[in-house]
Amino acid sequence: MREIMYRDALREAIDEEMARNSQVFIIGEGIAERGGSYKVTEGLLAKYGSKRVRDTPIAEAGMIGVGVGAAIAGGRPIVEILYVDFAMLGMDMIVNQAAKFRLMTGGNGRVPFVMRTQGGTGGGVAAQHSQSLEALFYAIPGLRVVMPSTPADAKGLLKYALRQDDPVMFLEHKHLYMTKGLVPDGEHIIEFGKGDIKREGKDVTIIAWSNMVHRALEAATELAKQGIEAEVIDPRTLVPLDKQMILKSVAKTKRVVIVQEACRRGGVASDIASIIQAEAFYELDAPVEIVAGLDIPVPFNLVLEKASVPQKDDVVAAARRSLHLDAYAQAAE
Amino acid sequence: MSDAILCPQVGQDLTEAKVVALHVKLGDTVKKGMIVAEVESEKATFEVEAFAAGVVIELPYQVGDTATVLEPLVVLGSDADAKPAAKKQAEALTKNGTGAKQHDVVAPARAAVNGQGRSSPLARRTAQNSGLEIDRIAGTGPDGAVVLRDVEALVAKSGKSAVASATGLNVKSLKDGKGTPVVFIHGFGAEIAAWRQIAMAIGLPNTLLAIDLPGHGASPDAAAPGFQCIVDAVESTLRSMGTEFHLVGHSLGAAIAIALSVQNGLTIKSLTLFAPAGLGTIVDGDFVAGFLAAKSEAALSAQMKKLVNDPADLPASMIKATQAAREAGPVAERQTKIAAGLFEGSTQLFSVRAELAKYPGPCRIVLGQRDGIISSSETNKKLSPGIAVHLLENAGHLPFLEEQGLSARLIAESVRSSG
Repeated sequence: MREIMYRDALREAIDEEMARNSQVFIIGEGIAERGGSYKVTEGLLAKYGSKRVRDTPIAEAGMIGVGVGAAIAGGRPIVEILYVDFAMLGMDMIVNQAAKFRLMTGGNGRVPFVMRTQGGTGGGVAAQHSQSLEALFYAIPGLRVVMPSTPADAKGLLKYALRQDDPVMFLEHKHLYMTKGLVPDGEHIIEFGKGDIKREGKDVTIIAWSNMVHRALEAATELAKQGIEAEVIDPRTLVPLDKQMILKSVAKTKRVVIVQEACRRGGVASDIASIIQAEAFYELDAPVEIVAGLDIPVPFNLVLEKASVPQKDDVVAAARRSLHLDAYAQAAE
Repeated sequence: MSDAILCPQVGQDLTEAKVVALHVKLGDTVKKGMIVAEVESEKATFEVEAFAAGVVIELPYQVGDTATVLEPLVVLGSDADAKPAAKKQAEALTKNGTGAKQHDVVAPARAAVNGQGRSSPLARRTAQNSGLEIDRIAGTGPDGAVVLRDVEALVAKSGKSAVASATGLNVKSLKDGKGTPVVFIHGFGAEIAAWRQIAMAIGLPNTLLAIDLPGHGASPDAAAPGFQCIVDAVESTLRSMGTEFHLVGHSLGAAIAIALSVQNGLTIKSLTLFAPAGLGTIVDGDFVAGFLAAKSEAALSAQMKKLVNDPADLPASMIKATQAAREAGPVAERQTKIAAGLFEGSTQLFSVRAELAKYPGPCRIVLGQRDGIISSSETNKKLSPGIAVHLLENAGHLPFLEEQGLSARLIAESVRSSG
């Protein structure tokens, strides 16, 4: 095991897969000469040459179109989109072409297209550069939606993405590139649909993905000081979703808090909550709590930005509600 | 501490009454003088008044049930007992408030109603599995909703589920309290229920626990025949719960208590022994055989009446419970095997005289002079002068039922005398 940064883990995955399979190539804005805005692709140009590591103009629709087309033609493209907000320019290619092609060709076609991009709030980059848009892709059958929270998960999942045959929305988080974590040595691959228990506990289940996993872990530490053992589970891939891990944890703890950075309305959290109430209703000792971003464009002002997305204390409060502790404390007064 | 409000005597010679109304729910606070229930005999309706205050922790009967007179109708625990764990946790959290702001959390709609009938799905399922009715439970969740902790607190209080014990012997709390627990060990062929009445009459602050012996009540069968095996099973059950106990035993249970009193690693603070076995050689072999062979209520009644001097002292419910247990499972077969390892005809195969002579703590032996099962005079021979012997002139083999008030006092005195 080595402790490396999230961005280094991503680079290792791309490097290893490019070395393994000559069909793998990467295009994006400033990824070749500059090594990428987040330094994920540093050094790859020198190693694999400009045919496989290629800068593009600022033209996301074109980049995504190139990627989807190349995937259909047998390539294994990685298209890096600087902000998930900009992926909207290529939505037709993603939603109407990439997601549908396999089934509309009677299963003959394959679209192993990997779109790497990043979302979420961080540093006051305002409404057009801070969104969490996973719900858009989650709602489109045919797409895989991956949201790694740690360097190890980022590496293992990206390597798997480059070996499977369906279009993958690989959604990184701008806050996470510089975070460190232990990554196993040697070949490290994580299959889609396998969630991870980030912290074990018995009193309440906190479901979170991407950067919110870290908020959930901070909340769990705070809850532990109050004698509450929270279990933090990270689905890692939203499509496919590790339903069994979620239901197993709910059966154990009987209470659930789902945390998402994306706005509350129409979010993935709502869908997970609906799965839980349908399949584990009689396990629940409290309504499923959802802690989510506000239903507003993310503000530019740093204080307001912080106020618009879930913080540690929000998660702690939701967990306490699900344990009926505050209600009881009021009744006891 | 717990108290029982008994079903009243509704008329001479009547043993049963119909419950026509219950005015309290589990978890409700009862004040002294409150009317908690109404029962009906063939002739009249009786209001049942609470003679003590407390929180309802058990309702053995529902409306429409037939209750046995002088058996508990409502069991009360003290207010402090009610939900101590939840209360403590809530207090800790209040002190430790995080002051979190309300985020964009969609709080589940909390109806303005007073919570009547509200409960979590899990609380409902758990209540159902425990044989509790959810709408009879007082809730501590949002707006009075019944949540898991309410059901769990009651399950623990009412003894609906066994106290965890590593060896699998069934242990129940007769009364929750503090300090060194007092453990009751029943006699051959009996079960925990034998102690219920006297437990209500004992004015001690201690927790009162009772054990079902192997092959008896809700405990599993004995691992092997013989006295020692039963002692070992009780010993490991006690060890799983602690090291310091007061023991109260009856007959075979008293002999087991004596055997345990000198075990290394266990500190037995006092012994109160009712009609102890293992101190003489004689046992009424005909009774043992007849009791084990009896199948009908009439035969059981005839046999069990030999246990007491005045047949009126034998509760009808005890005979019924014994018969019901035999119909429900292989109780008689198991106990026949156990008896074969303990008695041969009219001879007891085990002796605890040597152990009793070594016991250094306070010990009381209560004997019925009219005991037809073991010989009280044989038992009373050559006992160490440090042991108090109480000879009850009009009692048989069940002095703790036949002279309940005195027996309760003697137990309390034994426990108090050792500090």
